[in-house]
Amino acid sequence: MKKSLSFSYQVAIVLVMVVIGAISGLYLPWYTLGILFALLAYILRIPTGRAFALGLVSGFLLWAVSAFWIDGQHPSSLPERMAHLFPLGGSVVGLYIVTGVLGGLTGGLWAWAGANLRFNK
Amino acid sequence: MKYIKSIFPLALAIIWTYALHNSWGTLPPLGKLMSPFHGFWVNAEVPESAELSEENLQIPGLEKTVTVVYDEMGIPHVFAENDHDLYVAQGYLTAKDRLWQMEFQTHFAGGRISEIVGEKGMVSDQFQRRMGAVYGAEKSFEGMKEDPKATETLQAYSDGVNAYIESLTERNYPLEYKLLNYAPEKWTPIKSALFLKNMSFVLASGTDDLKMTNILRKYGKKVAEDLFPNYPFVESPIIPVGTPKDFKPVPIPESPIDFIGLGSAMKTPEKDPNIGSNNWAVSGNKTVSGLPMLANDPHLTLSLPSIWYQMQLVAPGVNVYGSTMPGTPNVIVGFNKNVAWGVTNVGSDILDWYQVKFKDASKAEYWHDGKWKKTTMRIEKFNIKGKESFVDTVFFTHHGPVVYLSHEKPFKSNIPVGHALRWIAHEKSQELTTFYKLNRAANYADYAQALTYYSAPAQNFIFASNQGDIALWVNGKFPLKSYTQGKYLLDGTDPKADWTGFIPQSHNPHAKNPVRGFLSSANQSSVDPSYPYYMGWQYAPSERGRRINERLEAMSKITMDSLRGLQNDNFNIRARTLLPLLMAKLKSPAGGVYGQAVNELQRWNLQNAADSKGATIFENWVLLLHEAIWADDFSADENVPMNSPSMDRTIKMMQDEPQSAWWDNVKTKNKKESMEEIISGSFKASIDTLVKKHGPLGSEWAWYKHKQTGIRHLIPGMDALSRLNIPMGGGGTIVNATTTKTGPSWRMIVELSKEGRPKAHGVYPGGQSGNPGSAHYDDLIDTWAKGELRSLLYLEKPEDATGRLRKKIILSIKK
Repeated sequence: MKKSLSFSYQVAIVLVMVVIGAISGLYLPWYTLGILFALLAYILRIPTGRAFALGLVSGFLLWAVSAFWIDGQHPSSLPERMAHLFPLGGSVVGLYIVTGVLGGLTGGLWAWAGANLRFNK
Repeated sequence: MKYIKSIFPLALAIIWTYALHNSWGTLPPLGKLMSPFHGFWVNAEVPESAELSEENLQIPGLEKTVTVVYDEMGIPHVFAENDHDLYVAQGYLTAKDRLWQMEFQTHFAGGRISEIVGEKGMVSDQFQRRMGAVYGAEKSFEGMKEDPKATETLQAYSDGVNAYIESLTERNYPLEYKLLNYAPEKWTPIKSALFLKNMSFVLASGTDDLKMTNILRKYGKKVAEDLFPNYPFVESPIIPVGTPKDFKPVPIPESPIDFIGLGSAMKTPEKDPNIGSNNWAVSGNKTVSGLPMLANDPHLTLSLPSIWYQMQLVAPGVNVYGSTMPGTPNVIVGFNKNVAWGVTNVGSDILDWYQVKFKDASKAEYWHDGKWKKTTMRIEKFNIKGKESFVDTVFFTHHGPVVYLSHEKPFKSNIPVGHALRWIAHEKSQELTTFYKLNRAANYADYAQALTYYSAPAQNFIFASNQGDIALWVNGKFPLKSYTQGKYLLDGTDPKADWTGFIPQSHNPHAKNPVRGFLSSANQSSVDPSYPYYMGWQYAPSERGRRINERLEAMSKITMDSLRGLQNDNFNIRARTLLPLLMAKLKSPAGGVYGQAVNELQRWNLQNAADSKGATIFENWVLLLHEAIWADDFSADENVPMNSPSMDRTIKMMQDEPQSAWWDNVKTKNKKESMEEIISGSFKASIDTLVKKHGPLGSEWAWYKHKQTGIRHLIPGMDALSRLNIPMGGGGTIVNATTTKTGPSWRMIVELSKEGRPKAHGVYPGGQSGNPGSAHYDDLIDTWAKGELRSLLYLEKPEDATGRLRKKIILSIKK
């Protein structure tokens, strides 16, 4: 499967992933994010070469931006404390990034897995 | 090939997810923990606004609607229509702010930490269970159940806690559950009993019998009794000397046969917590208001979430305000319309060890009173996280559990092996009834009656009423002993060494409205030697008690502020006696930092103020001096742990026995050290260590920087959730008893009023919420560190004109 995807199509995929990821996050366990990304990659026939990147970007955006947004809505010293615990020297921005990377890798791996299940049968 | 290519990414994704879903060693489950929808991000709380918000919550088990208003410190004021609902609400609201702490502390108390942290919690767990923590809790629960009111209270409290637990989903678990990756379990009334029992562990499990026996074996009875006297040389006992006795003493039991125990050898280091407390009450003729005032500050290990949780509990027949202990119903230290009360720990000897002679390796029988008697066995099962569970058998003689068998290695160095433990904490008891009744007490008679139910840990219950009475009962269940019985390890085969009964409660030391116009306690000797019963040979050093009594004697026209000043008093009463003695004998090396240090000491105003350099030099010097005098004789062999003589005894030796053989350091073979040499040598050593630690004498030598007071999260090593390096003065023998890890865990001052509108101030080092994501997690620490207090809001109805209320919650019945 070597079809190239248009930029706007890729943006649309990311948007869908972020929205679905957010909804599942509110009601289902954290790892359903991965399972749903795999399903999306499978159904939307995302090419194996792009799936990881799209999942990564979606997962990163979803988790990092959500963390940033929650922190803005609920100002507390907790993120700073956690950023000392991890240890990130108390950098909350560092904590957004770590959060984003974890969400991103989860999303990326599962999207890649979903694409491979579709195209490598 | 293609098949593998399609499965490989899936396998990788699954492994990754599995790894992030579980904890690995101390690493938390990162996926769950970091997810902005499930993890710690969810625990961040919006600070409440200055406007009153309203919320409705439905909880099962209520009979009527309960109204709760929170003030600006996050303190709930609960208005219920009956006792049952009051305690359901107390359980619910406490859990809402402190669930993890309540459960963690009862897990700790019950020896179940390894269920959370795995094998590394096992030694502590086994120690708790072998000491009979669960056995004791079961016994005291039996006692509680004899009072129907206590049973109802405990059940209602438990229902309230469970109502909160049931309202939770994984994503809104308290932060610590997410960090340690486990879930809360159902609360049961026996957990409250375990919590109360744990207070005996915290306050009344200290034991020196083994160390004293080791001394007895090495130096003989004469030296042991000379260096470890049974009453201090300088003392100001809690019950004023000359207080008339209003009882006829019962006969004292016969002394046990002379016995020198085996002692024992072990290596585990032991912590020696510096915990104690102050309280006092002054009569109306010493106060500006003309009515009694009462103050209390219990000193405990400082921790986050805070030890205490403030609440006001209102229902027909009760309107009480004060500090509660998360995990148990009622207010523990507080006041109501008419009375106020507070507690400090009693250092009496209520824990003894009996050397056991088993018949054979089966340990089925032991020798006592000339015959073989049967042991009983108790099976303790440990469910260890990540490991197979472990089953342990604990052997009991009629004294109590054999905590460690002869071949075992104890968890703490002061616990003997091969000995049975007789401990007041194993008695059936009804502490809950005491607090239930104190919460509702209207006068002295109610207070005195409430105390008759109390067993352990024994407390100095201070009291004041708006009828003008002040009183203090040294209260608890005290074994009726022969003189010095249990100072050393006892012979488990000798029936005369057994506890044969208890001091009748009405004979417990007490005083009411003394001529001097005040009563106080600071863990020092309860009574002077004219008291007819033996209660113990060693109490906390007398310094805090002497200073408080000296100040209260001198004070008149007392106000809230002057008592606050006394709670924060940093005067070093020990230095007043000791420093001139030391300076007279000191031969310091001339000039340099030593000369500067001598100048600093000469200039020192004897205040252990936060920025004092003199306090740092003095305290460090005394520490090293004490070690220089005694370590060669009493800590030479780490396998034979011994006590060192007290500072009281040491000062006596400095004053009256300058030629004593104890001054010599026996480790230097060809030299006989004099008192002057030891004093001067320890001074030099002390300055050298301070230079090494803090550089040249300067602001880095400030007492608070040397002392390093910290308030640590209950999970060891969790610095990110702790507050360290707090600028505080004080010290262990100072009225402001703030040390490195311990200090005033709650400060309260109450001014009673005839009209039933008491004015009270208080603070504790922490905050109402146990959630590190809440503004109320540590918002009171700065006030506490400055030595200030907050005015406590005592309401008659769930409204307030001063605008201090922030949140109103209506708890209604869930059908």
